[in-house]
Amino acid sequence: MFRLIFSEAWISITAYKMRTFLTTLGIMIGVAAVVLMVAVGQTVQNVIDESFESMGGNLLIVLPGASTSGGVRTAMGRPTVSRQDMDAMKDLKDVVTTSYATQSGVQAVYGKNNWSVNAMGTTPDYLDVGNWEIDRGIMFTERDLKSAASYVVLGQTVVDELFGFEDPIGKSVRLQNIPFMVIGTLKAKGPGLTGDDQDNLIMMPFSTLRQKIRGARRPQMVSIGFVKVNSEDKLDAVLQRVTYLLRARHHLKDTQEDDFTIRNMAELVEQVKKVGFYLSLLLAAIASISLIVGSIGIMNMMLVSVTERTREIGTRKALGAPNRWIMIQFLVESILISFMGSLMGLVIGIGASQIGGYIFEKDVPISIWTVVLSFSVAVVVGVASGLFPAIKAMKLDPIDALRYQ
Amino acid sequence: MANPVVEVKDLKKTYYMPGGMSQEVLKGVSFTIEEGDFVAIMGHSGSGKSTLMNTLGCLDRPTGGTYLLAGREISKLSDEELAVVRGQTLGFVFQNFNLLMKRSIADNVSLPLLYQGVGKSEMYERAKEMINKVGLKGYEDRIPNQLSGGMQQRVAIARALINNPKIILADEPTGNLDSQTSDEIMTFFQNLNKSGITIILVTHEPDVAMYAKRLIRIADGVVEYDGSVKKYMERSHV
Repeated sequence: MFRLIFSEAWISITAYKMRTFLTTLGIMIGVAAVVLMVAVGQTVQNVIDESFESMGGNLLIVLPGASTSGGVRTAMGRPTVSRQDMDAMKDLKDVVTTSYATQSGVQAVYGKNNWSVNAMGTTPDYLDVGNWEIDRGIMFTERDLKSAASYVVLGQTVVDELFGFEDPIGKSVRLQNIPFMVIGTLKAKGPGLTGDDQDNLIMMPFSTLRQKIRGARRPQMVSIGFVKVNSEDKLDAVLQRVTYLLRARHHLKDTQEDDFTIRNMAELVEQVKKVGFYLSLLLAAIASISLIVGSIGIMNMMLVSVTERTREIGTRKALGAPNRWIMIQFLVESILISFMGSLMGLVIGIGASQIGGYIFEKDVPISIWTVVLSFSVAVVVGVASGLFPAIKAMKLDPIDALRYQ
Repeated sequence: MANPVVEVKDLKKTYYMPGGMSQEVLKGVSFTIEEGDFVAIMGHSGSGKSTLMNTLGCLDRPTGGTYLLAGREISKLSDEELAVVRGQTLGFVFQNFNLLMKRSIADNVSLPLLYQGVGKSEMYERAKEMINKVGLKGYEDRIPNQLSGGMQQRVAIARALINNPKIILADEPTGNLDSQTSDEIMTFFQNLNKSGITIILVTHEPDVAMYAKRLIRIADGVVEYDGSVKKYMERSHV
C-alpha cells in the first residue's frame, strides 16, 4: 500500500513542477544555511584548536606584575620575574622544562631589503615550549645564551621577505645596525589565534636581545615565562608549586599579594573552545530560522493544495479512498518536498563550504551528523508542516468536497 | 424475483444546525431496487433527492430508518467501512465528470482499483480493457482536457465500472452535456443496464428520465411516485 501512496504522492507533486520547486527552495536554503554554518563553526573551532596546539599544550604562563593589588589593578609587566626564577622552576615536580622571553620590534636589514620584525630573546627550550621546529640549520644553545652570542634564527616570513630564494644560513642580517649571523630557520606556523603572523619572528638568545637590542636597566628580568608541565591534569598542582616558589623567592609576606600572575593555558583553551562551541550553536540557531520559514512555506503550499484539490479529495473518497489514505498521501507529499529540499540544501551547503574552504585555504570538515541532521530535519519539517493540511484533507466531508467549486 | 440490491425502509435524514435548529429533509422514504433495475430519481430542488442519492451512495448516514445495500445494513458503519463499501459495491458518475485533470485517462479510470490494493500493471491492463469498452480505445495516455465533454463522461463511466460494482449511481450525468451527447450517454447507460448492471440516476430532466425503466419521484422528503416512467410521463402529459 505504501508504495502506491508514495507513487500517487510523487505524481501529485510533480504535476506542479514549478510550484513544488519554489516550495523546496525554502527548505533548501534553510538546510544549506545550517550545513554551512555548522561547517563554519566547526572550522573556527578547528582553527582555535590548531592555534592553541601551535602555541604548545600543557603550559603555564608566568607574567610579571600582579593582576590586582589591594583591589586596584596595577600595571601588568612591572619587572618582577627574573630568569633565575624561571630556571629555579625546572626543579619542581612534574615540570618538563621552562623558558622565558622578551620581545622587541626591530627593523631587519639584509642587503637592499629591510623588514619590520618581532625580535624575541629567549632560551633554546622555547622550541619545545612553543611547539616550534627548526626547518634548516640549528637552534642556538645554552652556551650562546650565556655568552650573548650574536646568532639569530629566522621565522619563514622573515626568510621570504629578506632573502627570497637565497639560502639565509650563514648570512648576516643587521638589526639596529648590529650584524647578527643567521644559524637557522623555523618551520612556518601560519597565522595565530588573533590573525597575527607568527612567522614574522627572529629568535635570538635572551641575553643577546637584552644586551644588544634592548638595553635594559635590569637585564635579568623577563617579559613572559613559560612552564611546560608533563600532563594536563598536573597543571593545577604545578601552578600551586610555582606560586609557592615565586612567593618564597620574592620574600612575600602572607599579607602581601602575588607580584606575578600565572595563567593556566588549558583553562584558557577550554574557555575559548566553549566560546567556539556557543558560536557554532548561535550560527546554527540563526540558520534554523530559515528552516522554520521554509517549513511554513511548505505548510502554506500544502494548505493551498488541499483547498485546490478539494474536489479531487471528494472524488477519491467517493471512489473508495479511506480517510487515512488521504491523510498519508498528503503527509508523504509534504515529506517528499521537504526531503528534496533537504537533499538539494545538503549538496549546496557541502559544496559552498568546500568552495569557501578552498578560497580561505582551510580544511572544512563535513561530519556525518550534518547529513543525519539534514535528513532528520527533512522528515520532521515534512511531518510538522504537512500534518495540519493532511488532517484537514482527511476530515473533509466527501459531500461538501464534491460540491466544492 | 430478482435479488434486491437496495432496500430502504422509513429512511429519514435530519440536518441539525447550530442554535438548536433542525431541518428534516427525508421524512421516511421506503423502496426496494432489484438487481438489473434502471431507476431515475426525480424531484424539484430542495425535495431531498440529492440527500437520498448521497445516502444511497454511502457518502452520508441516515438519521433514521434502515438502508440495506446488497443485504448489508449501512447506517451503522464507520467512515472507513463506508469507504470500503463505496470502493467495492458502488460506481459513481458525476455531473462534472470529476476527472483528475493532470492525470492520464488510464490513471483516471483505474483510480478506484488503487484503494483495493491492485498492482500497477494489472490496474493499467484493466483500465485499458474498460476504456475499450466505452469506445475510447487509443485514448489511454491522453489527459482529460484533450477530450470532449461526452468523451470525458464516458471516461467517468469507465471509472465507475472498473471495480465491477453492484450499482452505478449517476448524479445528473448529462447536466453538462448538449442534447445530442446526452442521448449518446443515456443510450450507453441503457445498454449497460441491458447487460445486467443496476443503475440509479438522479435527474431533473424528464427526457433523461425517459431512458430509465422506473421512476421514483421525491417531493418534500417523501416518495410521491414510484412506478413506471412511461405511466408517470403519460399522467403528467410530458
